[in-house]
Amino acid sequence: MIFSKKEKITVAYTVIQCTSCSFQRKRKFAPGDTLFAESGRCDSCSEPTRVEKIFGESFDP
Amino acid sequence: MLILVNFTNFDLDQVFSTGDDSNPLIMLIWILPIILFVFYGQRIQLFVTSRDLKKGIKKLDNFRIESRTALIDYIKDNNLSVHDNTNSSKRDDTVKKIDQFIDYFTIMPVDMDPSGIVQKVHHVVRSREDHTRARIKSISAPDISDIELAKVQTLLEIASSLQMIYKIINHMFLTAKKQNNYPLILPLQMILPFIMEEAKAMKDAISAFEAGQPIGDGIGPMVVGKMMLPHKKEVASFQTVLARTDFEGRELFLLKAQGPLSVVGRPADALEAIIPDNKLDAIIMVDAALKLEGEDSASVAQGFGAAIGGIGTERFKIEAIAVDNNIPIFSIVVKESVKDAITLMTKEIADQADDVREQVYDMIRTNTVQGQLVLVIGVGNTAGVLQ
Repeated sequence: MIFSKKEKITVAYTVIQCTSCSFQRKRKFAPGDTLFAESGRCDSCSEPTRVEKIFGESFDP
Repeated sequence: MLILVNFTNFDLDQVFSTGDDSNPLIMLIWILPIILFVFYGQRIQLFVTSRDLKKGIKKLDNFRIESRTALIDYIKDNNLSVHDNTNSSKRDDTVKKIDQFIDYFTIMPVDMDPSGIVQKVHHVVRSREDHTRARIKSISAPDISDIELAKVQTLLEIASSLQMIYKIINHMFLTAKKQNNYPLILPLQMILPFIMEEAKAMKDAISAFEAGQPIGDGIGPMVVGKMMLPHKKEVASFQTVLARTDFEGRELFLLKAQGPLSVVGRPADALEAIIPDNKLDAIIMVDAALKLEGEDSASVAQGFGAAIGGIGTERFKIEAIAVDNNIPIFSIVVKESVKDAITLMTKEIADQADDVREQVYDMIRTNTVQGQLVLVIGVGNTAGVLQ
């Protein structure tokens, strides 16, 4: 339809931050991700990383 | 060949025959619509408005069905039902019970004599919560975790709310149609856009709760949860945790609902438990607040008074304790729309967490002196937020 408003698509992302060097990495949200939970090791300094943010970003389809 | 037409002697009376009252056909063309609108105007308006309302009600019906299906599918897909491994008749029994829960209603206490009404409302709401949790447990597998239990309870609340909204709006619409009463349909036409906005937000919230993602309302717990991370946590009240620490010579109590459960906790009960043994000098509450139209989503504001939503009983208790003990209450709120508050947290809101945390520390520095005790409460649903 010409006048119908298309709904935006929301994609969930997880931001992981190193507890030591504050290096941040953003990836798509994976089931089981919880805010402030430990999440592997830092790519840069091998120290533990933590989920810093989980959020959604909306895009036009 | 050029043809010149003279438009200067154009006679309107002649075109519309207004100067000639003798033409009965023209009179009929003028008078018939007037008669029609005088006697049937409301019915025509009712017909036009009904078409729009029907579309809205159809959407509400779909939301209701989708939320119910999502709830049943979530229980089935995650093997949460006690009857998942048994025969199909038992599974049908689970669905039947879920349908019963969805139809649960709450009768609010009589308010003709307002004395003691808060305690009565508090009791009814708590009883409903406890009963719903117990009923879900009774149909769930024995090893169901608290996280899953809270998720199912939230999904049930959404399905139940959407069911109730659909029933009430449909009732108002059908009553107006039955009576052919246009004025009766007007309030419905006015409130429906707001109802649709809330209902759609509720429907959209389902996926976030299923996935255990933080929602916009979780900004308070997100701010306080990070402050609590390095400290020992203790249970302060049902589904509510407390951490004790210090900050620049002040003693700090940090309070939030127990994450990552999809719950709001019981901060008033926790405050009631804390107050006999501790002399609080200030309470700071961090919460999401509904933004006004025109305000930016995720804008931060500071103020006074207890920033906590819900039916009002928690706020009443917190305010009563604050008055009895002469404790000032400060608040920091993050402005959000209804949709932002109950769906997956937006980037703009998540990006404000560090700034709000700094504002909390600044508020402590400004409003208290060394040696004082401050309680910081992260208010809101703590789904997907640890501490």
